[in-house]
Amino acid sequence: MRSWPSSRWMSSPGHTNPNPPGRPLTASLYVHVPFCVLKCAYCDFHSAPISDEPGMADHFAWAVGEGASHWAALGALDDVASIYIGGGTPTTLGPSLVSLVESVQRGARLVSDAEITVETNPDTTDPALAGRLIGSGVTRFSLGVQSFDDAVLRILGRCHTATSARRAVDALLDTGARVSVDLMCGIPGQTLDSWTASVEAALASGVGHVSVYPLTLEEGTPLAIAARVGEFDAPDDDLAADMMQAACELLGAGGLQRYEVASYARPGEESTHNSGYWTGRPYVGIGPSAASMLPAALFEAAIACEAWSDPGVAGVGKTLDSVPPGTSRVRFLRSADTTAFLRKPVGPPEEVEFLTPAQAAAEDAMLGLRLAEGITEELAERAGGTEILGTLEARGLVEHVAGRWRVTETGWLLGNEVFEAVWHAGTRRGLA
Amino acid sequence: MSQATHIRNFSIIAHIDHGKSTLADRVLELTHTVADRDMVEQVLDSMDIERERGITIKAQAVRVLYQADDGQTYQLNLIDTPGHVDFTYEVSRSLQACEGVLLVVDAAQGVEAQTVANAMMAMNAGLEIIPLINKIDLPAADPERVRHEIEEGLAIPADNAVLASGKTGEGVREALESVIALVPPPEGESDKPLKALIFDSYFDTYRGVVALVRVIDGRVSKGMKIRMMANNTVTDVEEVGVRRPANLPVESLEFGEVGYLITGLKDPALVKVGDTVTLAKHGATEPLPGYREVKPMVFTGLFPIDGDQYPDLRDALDRLQLNDPALIYEPESSHALGFGFRVGFLGLLHMEVVKERLEREFDLDLLATAPSVEYHVYTTAGEEVVVHSPQDMPEAGVIERVEEPYLRATVLVPPDYVGAVMELSESRRATFKDMQYLSATTVEMHYDIPLSELIMDFFDQLKSRTRGYASLDYEYIGYRTSKLVKLDILLAGKVVDALSFIVHRDKAYQRGRVLTEKLREIIPRQMFEVPIQAAIGGKVLARETVRAKRKDVLAKCYGGDITRKRKLLEKQKKGKKRMKNVGNVEVPQDAFMAILKVDE
Repeated sequence: MRSWPSSRWMSSPGHTNPNPPGRPLTASLYVHVPFCVLKCAYCDFHSAPISDEPGMADHFAWAVGEGASHWAALGALDDVASIYIGGGTPTTLGPSLVSLVESVQRGARLVSDAEITVETNPDTTDPALAGRLIGSGVTRFSLGVQSFDDAVLRILGRCHTATSARRAVDALLDTGARVSVDLMCGIPGQTLDSWTASVEAALASGVGHVSVYPLTLEEGTPLAIAARVGEFDAPDDDLAADMMQAACELLGAGGLQRYEVASYARPGEESTHNSGYWTGRPYVGIGPSAASMLPAALFEAAIACEAWSDPGVAGVGKTLDSVPPGTSRVRFLRSADTTAFLRKPVGPPEEVEFLTPAQAAAEDAMLGLRLAEGITEELAERAGGTEILGTLEARGLVEHVAGRWRVTETGWLLGNEVFEAVWHAGTRRGLA
Repeated sequence: MSQATHIRNFSIIAHIDHGKSTLADRVLELTHTVADRDMVEQVLDSMDIERERGITIKAQAVRVLYQADDGQTYQLNLIDTPGHVDFTYEVSRSLQACEGVLLVVDAAQGVEAQTVANAMMAMNAGLEIIPLINKIDLPAADPERVRHEIEEGLAIPADNAVLASGKTGEGVREALESVIALVPPPEGESDKPLKALIFDSYFDTYRGVVALVRVIDGRVSKGMKIRMMANNTVTDVEEVGVRRPANLPVESLEFGEVGYLITGLKDPALVKVGDTVTLAKHGATEPLPGYREVKPMVFTGLFPIDGDQYPDLRDALDRLQLNDPALIYEPESSHALGFGFRVGFLGLLHMEVVKERLEREFDLDLLATAPSVEYHVYTTAGEEVVVHSPQDMPEAGVIERVEEPYLRATVLVPPDYVGAVMELSESRRATFKDMQYLSATTVEMHYDIPLSELIMDFFDQLKSRTRGYASLDYEYIGYRTSKLVKLDILLAGKVVDALSFIVHRDKAYQRGRVLTEKLREIIPRQMFEVPIQAAIGGKVLARETVRAKRKDVLAKCYGGDITRKRKLLEKQKKGKKRMKNVGNVEVPQDAFMAILKVDE
């Protein structure tokens, strides 16, 4: 690997591990790789083709390693439950992805059964690379298949075919890793038959995890524009609802149980990383536009670093010098500027949100209701959501079973109603 | 009778957008009335909304001193008139303060409906009319054609029409020379008792009501006791002055002069446009002719989206009324919308301007119901009931007949579009009166049309069906009997009073059907099925259904960006807040205006 100048903060004195001694902070680590071979027609996330500048992939892998070292030095990575390399399409980095996976682990202490997921697409899945990734510690692949129907894939602007998707699933399963397949419903031009065929194909492929998402037409994407000018019909909500229900039945019959609004798994194959998001586990995000969520004390320690106060870093909106009193957790977002990230892997965030304990509880309650297991009465109470949950129960959207609140079959499809109501009930109380 | 030989009182009249205000600006520049550095585009249009929309709502008067080619200095009083048909009465009063007008016609657009209407008004007032062909700098300018249209269509000699450009300033000096040469100096008698015409007024927070006046006879000076003849109010003159364009106090205003009066009066209702000011003692016995009470023609319900803003809305209306006595309102309560006001306006533009000012200047979120007109309902018991809101319509069983206001509409259009105008007019219950060719390119058509039909999107339809060529003017002609019924809209089985409207019986079925379809598109899917029905009395004419919402989930949550996800939820919530909860149904604001957009 090429050598790069070490970042300055490492030599700066005076930071201490903000974690209380004894039990280390359990956290997740997310790495955002903003490169794709081609942007899909529905995508409004941060991605671009990787530049053909020589050494770009290595440079990116190095920068991610620098970021990880920074957080490790602050003690944020003393007990890592999961690592997720997402994007974009991480596998566009080719062999450099192996060094990326290795470098993020350097300095991090992983729990014994830590999950390390790499996101990939059928067209960038290379069996040899997959094997090397397993060697570097990867335990799980998340494959963006979206559909096993070539006509639908063309509408989405995907680069692969149903056949190459099947091949990719086989190759990934052959490595011995767990494999998850993403499927998308509610696509213009997609029929119920096409959808059930895709779900069945996913089941038949032998994967232990399937994610099911209804398409959202994001403004400004080619697909949204095509729908607006009448090239396609806008997705039909009723049909999408039928598709989601069909998926639930088919996958359940095939042994994959729904454990989250969009996720189905064979028992034991649930994603540790995603579950972390729904249960309030802190996470460190590295890479352009990556989001992090940390306890206030840890964020305060980061502020004190020299690298964060450097005004030369792109993406600095404001000078951060303290955390408002009464903050329990902080969520922050790095700038989406890849060049800035490569120049300065460690730097201040572009957006910061300070959450009070009440807001944090409301958020945990809202997100926890995405899970089949729901949330405890204690959390509902703490989030100020007991009353609204009662109202939602009367409307048939949630149910109260064995000391927990969880969404019903109808509630799954109308998740936003539930999430929004719980969040607002909690934050209104927080403001009062 | 004597003459104030060095005074000229004139007005600039034009169809909307023909460049009246820009010309006025050039006059102020040329006469150095406004220093260049203070020159804001369109000085006389002082409201933000006037500037933005390029229309004049309030009349203004400014005195300029002009050194003419004959070496003498003249006092010119330029009275800018409102440029919209809603304010016809105000225009007529402003014209009464003048001896002449510059009739501005766009060199490309030519004569349009309000050109005709304004020219007629000036002729009826016996004013000298000087045609001015404006915007001659435009590539599409065709002054010869326009000259021809003025002569043929308006029977006004246009050989000596001034050719000008408000943009470049060309011809502005010639226009002022024509005013001096052609507009007669005012006549009056200095030793007669005071007679002054109030042609506009505004409210000053510190000084109370400021009246803009033209002195016809006698003189008015500070300290005088005066009387408003329409309502016999006696008050003292605290200040007299002229507008240059800022207020400049003077000792007195003599006959023939234009200026302002400040009295002790704080209530704008006592200082009415068109009224005559005279001396409290030994005053004039006869007021100046032409005064009438301004009556609102169009009514709408204004409701705060957030019920807590009701007192704020009331305060805001009180404040606006100080400067706009034509605005009237009374409390109205609706089962669907809660507490609000039924507000009367001179016309649709007036309504839009007021609503916009309420929202912008007073930071209110308002919901307006579809505009209605004043119906006169005669009951079988022999009573007359005045109905401003469909809610107040008596039971069908006790109605003997209903009368509604009619207008005489004048449409000017190129001959190719006569058919389109006829088709639209027929669909709007208009009766054709006559038509004539003003020139080879312009036909003038007259219709009698119910006001209620005109306020239903008529102007937009007229414009779109004639590719923007048609122009429209109208005047009120009186009440006529029509077969009218109240059509109710039911959401989820309950009548939503704010959606009810009054319609001609022969149109009820069709309008009900189209409106329920429209509402089905506008009302978002809810947690339950929402039937939409249109009904007269208990009889359902049309029915549509908004199906229950089945799916509302956000897609994948990438990399823990929960902030983004929550923002999406908040955006959704905000969208809902802009809706009104009617019963259990969330109804977007558009729904209450849907009836206006029923394109048949």
